[in-house]
Amino acid sequence: MVKYLHIASIPGEVELMQKAADEYMAANPNVKIELPFLENEAFKAKLTTLLQSAEAPDIFHSWGGGVFYEQAKAGVLRPVEDVMSQAAKDEMGSAGVSAFTAADGHLYGMARDVAEVVLWYNKTLFEQAGVDPASMGTWDGFLAGVQKFKDAGITPLAVGAKDKWPAHFWWSKLVVRLAGQDGFNAAAAGEGDGFAGEDFVKAGEYFLQLAALNPWQEGFEAASYGDASGYFGDGKAAMHLMGDWDYGAMKDNSASKQGIPDDQLGILPFPTIEGGKGDPTDTLGGLSGYLFSKNASDEAVKFLEFYNSKAVQEKFGQAGYYIPIAKGAADSMTNPFKVQIGKNISGAHWHALFFDQALGPAVGGVVNDVSAELAANAISAQEAAELVKEAVDDTL
Amino acid sequence: MASVASSIDTVSGSAVRPRRYMDRKSLVPLLLFLPPALLLFTVFVVLPMIDAGTFSFFDWTGYGPITDFVGFDNYEDVITHRNFGTAVRNSLIVVAVSLLIQLPLAMWAAIALSERGTHVNILRTIFFVPYMLAEIAAGLIWKFVYDGNYGLVPIIGDAIGQKLPFVLADKLWVIPAIMLVIIWKYFGFHMMIYIAGLQSIPSEVIEAARLDGVKKWKIVWHIKLPMIWSAIVVSVFFSITGALQLFDLIIPLTGGGPQNTSHTIVTFLYQFGILRMKLGFGGAVSVMLFIACVIVAIVYRRLLFRAEQT
Repeated sequence: MVKYLHIASIPGEVELMQKAADEYMAANPNVKIELPFLENEAFKAKLTTLLQSAEAPDIFHSWGGGVFYEQAKAGVLRPVEDVMSQAAKDEMGSAGVSAFTAADGHLYGMARDVAEVVLWYNKTLFEQAGVDPASMGTWDGFLAGVQKFKDAGITPLAVGAKDKWPAHFWWSKLVVRLAGQDGFNAAAAGEGDGFAGEDFVKAGEYFLQLAALNPWQEGFEAASYGDASGYFGDGKAAMHLMGDWDYGAMKDNSASKQGIPDDQLGILPFPTIEGGKGDPTDTLGGLSGYLFSKNASDEAVKFLEFYNSKAVQEKFGQAGYYIPIAKGAADSMTNPFKVQIGKNISGAHWHALFFDQALGPAVGGVVNDVSAELAANAISAQEAAELVKEAVDDTL
Repeated sequence: MASVASSIDTVSGSAVRPRRYMDRKSLVPLLLFLPPALLLFTVFVVLPMIDAGTFSFFDWTGYGPITDFVGFDNYEDVITHRNFGTAVRNSLIVVAVSLLIQLPLAMWAAIALSERGTHVNILRTIFFVPYMLAEIAAGLIWKFVYDGNYGLVPIIGDAIGQKLPFVLADKLWVIPAIMLVIIWKYFGFHMMIYIAGLQSIPSEVIEAARLDGVKKWKIVWHIKLPMIWSAIVVSVFFSITGALQLFDLIIPLTGGGPQNTSHTIVTFLYQFGILRMKLGFGGAVSVMLFIACVIVAIVYRRLLFRAEQT
């Protein structure tokens, strides 16, 4: 009996999952696969207790990063590097392996997919306001474009600041540009001035420059991610900085359920900043997958090797549920946006993990707090940077 | 339990016997009825409380053994946290508004609706329905009502030709907006307590006063209120403890925002303790809240005791 606890709620995706599990059971009649489900937030809240109980699932979803490291440290996971076949490791690639390898050097899971935060934009509104998307490539050009939208009476940006994490994408992207991989890693390790260093204060200052233009939709501080996504999907805001999943979510959250048609939707690269230490190809996003709990059997590893193989991943990629990490599996994708995002990530010098995941919930929570406050122009860049540094110091 | 034991004593006519809990006749119901309640209370109230108290002295993420003893650091972190003061202030506002606005309103409605009649029944039901709604559902409903794009508030704004603010996104308006929901949600409950009390007043007393020409408000003040004193005591107590524990309306309405200005003590605990995997921090908040509740309970009992004696 192998239990895989998942968080997929879209019926089509669950159906695909069940089909794959059925296929495996047909080939291995002595194994029974169960796919219990928990809703996203309930999953996060319940997992801590669940993993330390007798009811722990063998396999469960993971976003990697700080929470994964805590779980590994606490010994609630099973190291699988000796059980897993070399072929499976090769298929997820070095990025996938390292994402699910903890500080102790053990491999605890498998990577499944990648996600990227991009600047979605509405071509119709750009035409209406007379803004050239190409002019948005630099930070100054971007601010000028935002101002043009304001002058034209169009909301430049949608953001769901009630949930805070959508706002933290702005801070994160600015940090990726300004501090780069080495700067971020040093700060996360508490070296030097840490997150109170110059680059991070600057990230806050740039964020405040944008916030000063009042670029967000009205009432953005009470808007959840879903509200903002629907607002953009309804064609009421010109841009939305959000993960690739918003392609589907934006449609689902819009009043018409149709969202913005593909030919009017585009992806802008995040503006570059002069003197920034980041590489222009750097991306921000996720790399999620599966973890094995302490009592997972060898059978669970065998099942996941099949379930997470290129052949199965391709089906999910084709249907557009996620961007598969298995080498070559992403080639099966037909959606042009997802294809482009897949290319962005594979060509990235650094694929930064969502900061609120990478830094763990304690520090990540503070990053989210200050980002929402920066978006509202309610905190100074210096204070924001110091709060994040303090949070890091607390965990060291 | 004591009342059960003493009533049995009275029935058997042995009220003055010493060590009456050892009485064979009272021992049976004691052994029969006390263990289930005691067991549930211990498992679901006492043990978690001791746990939370223990966590509060450790740095613990919720995973693995609890080993990192930090003394009173968590308490210090809570008190110096930049949002803790706001959370305490908000909880106190909720207590104050509950006592000073909600309860008088409930009393007024109860007095107006304590007579029998069809239209009275309909109104009572309408006022009571919000209380029966799940808190999460009520919170979501009001989030839609307040929504500045699609909600009821902008419709009202259009009707009166005014641009109304996005109340839940506005630091100034968010607390009054939440208070309105709280009053709407709970005043019906207190009204029902008062109505039950008012209906137990013998009608002869009121009639006699009327015949003697006592004015209406004087009847309320000198007869009705004193006669439902015990109902008021209960409702005030529910009101205070409920206000201190307010949580599940806030989460769907604002999640504590904008900029963490609408947290109560319990949403503060959840947001900064549990969600951020700082269970020691959360434990410290809950111990402080527990102490506050105990103090309220003791002071309240004392005050009432004195009031009953005079």
